[in-house]
Amino acid sequence: MLQNLFFGKLTLDVIPFHEPILIGVMAFMAIGAIAVIAALTYYKQWTYLWNEWICTIDHKKIGIMYLILSFVMLFRGFSDAIMMRLQQAMAAGSNAGYLPPEHFDQIFTAHGVIMIFFVAMPFMFALLNMVVPLQIGCRDVAYPYLNSLSFWLTFAGAMLCNISLVVGNFARTGWLSYPPLAELYYSPDVGVDYYIWSLQVAGVGTLLAGINFIATIIKMRCKGMTLMKMPIFVWSALCAMILVALAFPILTVTLALLAFDRMFDMHFFSEFAGGNVMLYVNLIWAWGHPEVYILILPAFGVFSEVVATFSQKKLFGYTTMVWAIGIITFLSFIVWLHHFFTMGAGANVNAFFGITTMIIAIPTGVKVFNWLFTMYKGRIILSTPMLWVTAFFTTFAIGGMTGVLTAVPPIDFQVHNSLFLIAHFHNVIIGGVLFGYFAGLIYWFPKSFGFQLNEKLGIYAFIFWVVGFYIAFMPLYILGLNGFMRRVNHYSEVAYQPYFIVAAFGALLIGIGIILQVIQLFVSIKNRHALRDKTGDLWNGRTLEWSVSSPAPMYNFAVLPTVHEIDQFWADKQRHLSEGHVHPKEMHYEPIHMPRNTPAGFIIAMFAGAVGFALIWQMLIPGILAFIGMIATVIIRTFSKDIDYYIDAETVKKTELAYLRGIV
Amino acid sequence: MLANIRKITIYALIAMSCFFMLSLTGCKDYTFSLGMLNPKGLVTYHERKLFFDTLALMLIVVIPVIIMSFAFVYHYQVSHKVRDYKPNWSHSYFLEVIWWTIPCVIIVVLAILTWKKTHELDPYTRLPGYQDKPPMLIQAIALPWKWLFIYPEQNIATVNFLQIPIDQQVEFWITADNVAMSAFFIPQLGSQIFAMAGMRTRLHLIAEEIGTYNGLNTQYNGAGFSDMHFTVNVVQAEEMQTWIKQVKQSALSLSDANYDNLLKPSIGDSPQYFSSVEPELFDNVIMTYMHTFSATHPRENNNAMIEKE
Repeated sequence: MLQNLFFGKLTLDVIPFHEPILIGVMAFMAIGAIAVIAALTYYKQWTYLWNEWICTIDHKKIGIMYLILSFVMLFRGFSDAIMMRLQQAMAAGSNAGYLPPEHFDQIFTAHGVIMIFFVAMPFMFALLNMVVPLQIGCRDVAYPYLNSLSFWLTFAGAMLCNISLVVGNFARTGWLSYPPLAELYYSPDVGVDYYIWSLQVAGVGTLLAGINFIATIIKMRCKGMTLMKMPIFVWSALCAMILVALAFPILTVTLALLAFDRMFDMHFFSEFAGGNVMLYVNLIWAWGHPEVYILILPAFGVFSEVVATFSQKKLFGYTTMVWAIGIITFLSFIVWLHHFFTMGAGANVNAFFGITTMIIAIPTGVKVFNWLFTMYKGRIILSTPMLWVTAFFTTFAIGGMTGVLTAVPPIDFQVHNSLFLIAHFHNVIIGGVLFGYFAGLIYWFPKSFGFQLNEKLGIYAFIFWVVGFYIAFMPLYILGLNGFMRRVNHYSEVAYQPYFIVAAFGALLIGIGIILQVIQLFVSIKNRHALRDKTGDLWNGRTLEWSVSSPAPMYNFAVLPTVHEIDQFWADKQRHLSEGHVHPKEMHYEPIHMPRNTPAGFIIAMFAGAVGFALIWQMLIPGILAFIGMIATVIIRTFSKDIDYYIDAETVKKTELAYLRGIV
Repeated sequence: MLANIRKITIYALIAMSCFFMLSLTGCKDYTFSLGMLNPKGLVTYHERKLFFDTLALMLIVVIPVIIMSFAFVYHYQVSHKVRDYKPNWSHSYFLEVIWWTIPCVIIVVLAILTWKKTHELDPYTRLPGYQDKPPMLIQAIALPWKWLFIYPEQNIATVNFLQIPIDQQVEFWITADNVAMSAFFIPQLGSQIFAMAGMRTRLHLIAEEIGTYNGLNTQYNGAGFSDMHFTVNVVQAEEMQTWIKQVKQSALSLSDANYDNLLKPSIGDSPQYFSSVEPELFDNVIMTYMHTFSATHPRENNNAMIEKE
């Protein structure tokens, strides 16, 4: 009884000691953890880690932590991808491959969940944190402590998802866990519970971050920066965050209802007793479709910044760009049904949602033309960020085209659930979202870290990624048109095996691309002195983030800037060129009001993770204790008065002069 | 060195996009295909045509975009020292009106096409040209992990095997029992549609060529998903009658006990034939779900294999 209250369903049996692969993974993770702990202890870095990173509420550092989380999870998500490609390349005819369904089905579920929630989303928030406050000329986000909480909640969610590797198992339901498969009757183990609670914890973090950035962008812009003078990246961030604020509550409620079904025998989504399966499918896509635009809009913002900077030319059609983003934001909420035309709704409903989907192609197409004509009559510098943009045009055009194809209901009746669909959304998510984020990362890397990434290795990584992408996904289009479905563990048509082998080879090339990116990172860190960005304006930038040192000082701007036009910093540089000086040397500095670091965000999130774990295993007492801990930390933090401090004017002056001396 | 790599990259990208276009439109001979590229029924034939029509409409924009992207990036590089540099040129009513209008026109054309075709090919309604001809009814039930087909008018049933006459409109009533949401699909003959317990979906098909085709479940529904295939045989009307008589000779009948056996999860079953079917079986299966209001699943006692997992 007492054991049940404490440990719920958790016993030693749930650790898969009989699975050699998983034992290997566990050993690897344990060795990694021990190595990190030993290194931290040996170099006496625990206090540094605690004070400078875990407690930090500086948006620039939180951005870096999001980035690290995203890359670590990319390795897991990509390992899943390689395992799936390998399985499908092998399992033709009588060969069953090396992964039985119970593993394979977990792997494709984990791949989708990890790539969207724990790679793409943290990557997006990394870029937003690294850049948005600097671009709008403010010193931090509106709620710095909330920002730290958001990150740590995302982290806790990701860790819950990772724990499922070694304690119990993950869901075998596909990345959206459609009921009735996700109901207790068909999925009696804890897999779906891991799915629900890792997404719930991370989802709350995302929602809070969304609200935080909306407040930041609406309220914290520097003097003179009206909405129509904001950089396009900020516009795209604002619209994406509005989507977060509107869409993520739907996810939270939907998953909560599914959890009620599983935990309390309720019948929201069951097949009987008045439940409705399609209710879940509608709800999850009412979140899921805006989610896609949450990811792609900031990528559009990155392209706008990168194209303008590297063409050394003003962004073409700023106003149209803003309207296009606005229209996409609105339309993204009225297309969700195109994910299940096959449910048997009437022709009117299907045609309506098919047409609204196609309409999104119009503003998206307009944006592409605006980028193209930004390059037209420019002076293009083909640095690595610009290479990613170049690859993006073709890839995204193809992906958009196949997207419109699948939006036509009668065509969708053929390609729904097929590998054609898989190729389509990887085409837009890799070719659109990820290429954009990579461009943005390389572009803003010096602003966060103070040094540039190695160009040559960056180009090699780029080539492997792009070539690998085409080789991995073009065969899937062909397979899809030939009636091959997604999530298939094995197939009997041996004649089509070569396509799967080619696809696996492509995935391997992408893998080499990722390895090259890691090497690029290490080589760049090693040569950081040679690659240092002394001016703070490495790319001859146009927006405010390039007007401060790299990395930006902790207060961002010694004196808050004033803006009169869209590319203020570019205009300033032009003016200074004619007047003969770059930066004013004699300035009057004032003390700067800053928020104080706090461990509250980290502690609350760790308790939230513990609550999630307790709910998964139905551990009553630990769950209640963790919940009390979580609420208590919130209350204690609320009564804390020591939340801010001033950086005195002398320190500011010293920092600024050191930077200016560096330039001269 | 770097310039070379950039050039190679650009050429590689061009080559690959050409390859992609060719692979879709270049080869005319699709007879190898098991999917929509090789239609054997009216619906798939229309769907393939619609696919290529839409593709052509999209290419009107996509091809110029791809060409412009490479041309502009190549031409306006700093190293090419193009004189024509306009750093502040960022607006042109003329150009912007053009690229709002052209996509709008294309989408209007596509929208009209979509509206028309979505109604024509609606799985729930009789097919164009066959409106006044009564269809043959087949009831399909997705089971764990196999398909049961009931021919109510003939009072026979089959598992994982479907035989239909050529040029005859067939109407399917589809549901699922003791298996998560599935989807019924014969790629070469027509559309796919979900199969859900407690609900009935419908689908109309016409086969236009004699042959054997692949039918399958497309919606992931658990461990046996990959093997949830069935064989579709399209035959002449006379042969269909002979076959029905043959099935009538089968020793098996689809009694309640035999149906309970089918409810047990199994993977990769070979075809089975039943000489008669319990009356109203299809309706009863749906009503079992609609009329269960207890907390336990109506098939709680039939899921032996699921428990074992």
